Amino acid sequence: MHDGSGRIAVQNLSKQFGPVSAVQNLSFTVEPGSVTGFLGPNGAGKTTTLRMLLGLVTPTAGTATINGRPHDQLGNPATVVGAVLENEGFHPARTARNHLRVYAAAIGMPDQRADEVLGLVGLSTAADRKVGGFSLGMKQRLALATALLGNPQVLVLDEPANGLDPEGILWLRNFLRAYAREGRSVLVSSHLLNEVEQTIDQVVIISQGMTRYYGSLDQLRKSQQSRVLVQPADANALVTALSEGGFTQVSPTPDGRVAVVGATVQQIGDITAKAGLAVYGMQEEHADLERLFFQLTAGQFSAPGYQGPPPPQQYYQPGPPQQQYAPQQYPPPQQQYQAPPTPPPGQQLPPPPQQPGPNDTWGGQA
Amino acid sequence: MGNLIKAEIRKTLTTKSWWGLLIPTVLFAFACALGWGAVTNDISDFLGSSDTRQITRVLGIQTGELPVGLLALGHGINIGTIFPMIFGVFALAGEYTKKTITTTFLTAPNRGAALTAKMITYIGWGAIYGVFIFAAASIGTLLTVDSARLPTGPQWFGMLGAGVLATILATLFGIGLGAVWRSVVGSVITLTIYMLVLENVLVFVAWGWGRIQWLGGVLPNGTLNGIVGAIGAEAFGAAGVTIPGLDKETKWFLQYTAGAPGAFSWWASALIFLAWTLLFFGLGWAANQKRDIT
Repeated sequence: MHDGSGRIAVQNLSKQFGPVSAVQNLSFTVEPGSVTGFLGPNGAGKTTTLRMLLGLVTPTAGTATINGRPHDQLGNPATVVGAVLENEGFHPARTARNHLRVYAAAIGMPDQRADEVLGLVGLSTAADRKVGGFSLGMKQRLALATALLGNPQVLVLDEPANGLDPEGILWLRNFLRAYAREGRSVLVSSHLLNEVEQTIDQVVIISQGMTRYYGSLDQLRKSQQSRVLVQPADANALVTALSEGGFTQVSPTPDGRVAVVGATVQQIGDITAKAGLAVYGMQEEHADLERLFFQLTAGQFSAPGYQGPPPPQQYYQPGPPQQQYAPQQYPPPQQQYQAPPTPPPGQQLPPPPQQPGPNDTWGGQA
Repeated sequence: MGNLIKAEIRKTLTTKSWWGLLIPTVLFAFACALGWGAVTNDISDFLGSSDTRQITRVLGIQTGELPVGLLALGHGINIGTIFPMIFGVFALAGEYTKKTITTTFLTAPNRGAALTAKMITYIGWGAIYGVFIFAAASIGTLLTVDSARLPTGPQWFGMLGAGVLATILATLFGIGLGAVWRSVVGSVITLTIYMLVLENVLVFVAWGWGRIQWLGGVLPNGTLNGIVGAIGAEAFGAAGVTIPGLDKETKWFLQYTAGAPGAFSWWASALIFLAWTLLFFGLGWAANQKRDIT
């Protein structure tokens, strides 16, 4: 039997669909009492991973266990793990209550449990309506109600915010937080970080079937350095002055400004004043998880024409004096920066935490 | 297992398909028995008088007492079995089509348990369909066949037993096919065309052209029909027993009239159709154990 810990453990999990490698060597754990975000762009392998965890898809290699056991060895699995999956089916002719009574019977729960979970998700008034007439948001709530039938220790949700209105998303957020506070584990996938940012404690970021980051959200936030965006009259002169002042982590931004990493507004102001350079504006930009997320996951489906940002060395190497910095040396922004989620050059992957904790590991590319 | 069976019963009772499908089942069984009863009531007119005399002499009955009611009953039951078969297709292929299979697997200890519960539940549904079909076909027979030509008491009971056995196996066959194919529409259309048209044409052509008698005795539709059909054929000495001097043509014609061309005997038909059911059920079972639900 399972160990009752509420821990989800995914170890070296891989899945091959014919020639397509959906998931490659994925590892992470979800501890009880926490909400873990499972993030990645569409097609990153999130759904496949969750379905392997739930025994719906057979892994090509590796293991995915809940309470130390694969799904088909959990005994009465719905009392251990509840799942809200995308494209989950409902018989359109069945009422919400009848739908829940079918599965309550399968789990061995009493019939009134169906009404209890309907109340929990706020669907009591729709109990006798046929599911075929439900909105997407109502179906999501009913899926959650189904997952809660067995009062499980672990909740797994695949893109649960889809179809929910802002009010519904807020409600879901509070619900999941409260669920985790009771010492249960919640694993929630999303392709949007800001959708779950306020819900989750831990985060697993995957892209192209591989782990890009795994650890606490705070750690991820800290790893991101802030930068200053400077609007100079003469970008080349500014870059030269900055590099003489010891600040070499500079890069162009799509709108023609210069992004400086590792310097404060004051330091840049001093340097430009000393060099006699005109500056029209400066803006400090703080750690932006969404941007970080883009950097960690970018490149999965890059357009073939995209050449990538220019290597930073070209830019901040002080050239001969006659080589003028000309804005047209930059590729036109509309070509270079078609897709918003491209990382600004010079801002590569943040360094991993120097001393990773037991749960802070880097997979995939490492 | 009790929980899963309860869930399976609820699945069926909370939708309309079980009684929606039962209506045409009863109507077809009744209408077919009625029509066939009207036609076969005077079957001795179709048979040569020497054939009839020979059969009745061997069977030890009067010419007017040939149990033609069995023929009507058999045909009514046989046409009815197509519906529990379709009902069986819905059992699993319907869950794949509606994607409810995900929740079914998530709430069962394992896939084998989910399928076993389905199998046990649908044996019950098959039996219920069988009783309804038998009742409808019996009424059709009673309305058209002269009382002297009705089956004897043991023959009625034999037909009830064989009919229920046939509908149970037909339901399981449907589940197996649906488990292999997973498409309700594809399975139902193919099944109906094959069972009602294709195999009949095949058996007829094989007989008419190549004088192959046994084909209907081994193919799925022929063996399923043979479970009840052969009881009628046996009562006419056209299956199971050998009547000396009865020529091949008359024998096949009698079997055909009973709805069991080529059938060896009712139990041989049942065993061969059981093998077909196990084949499809086994293939479906194996596929379901490993299939990725995406």
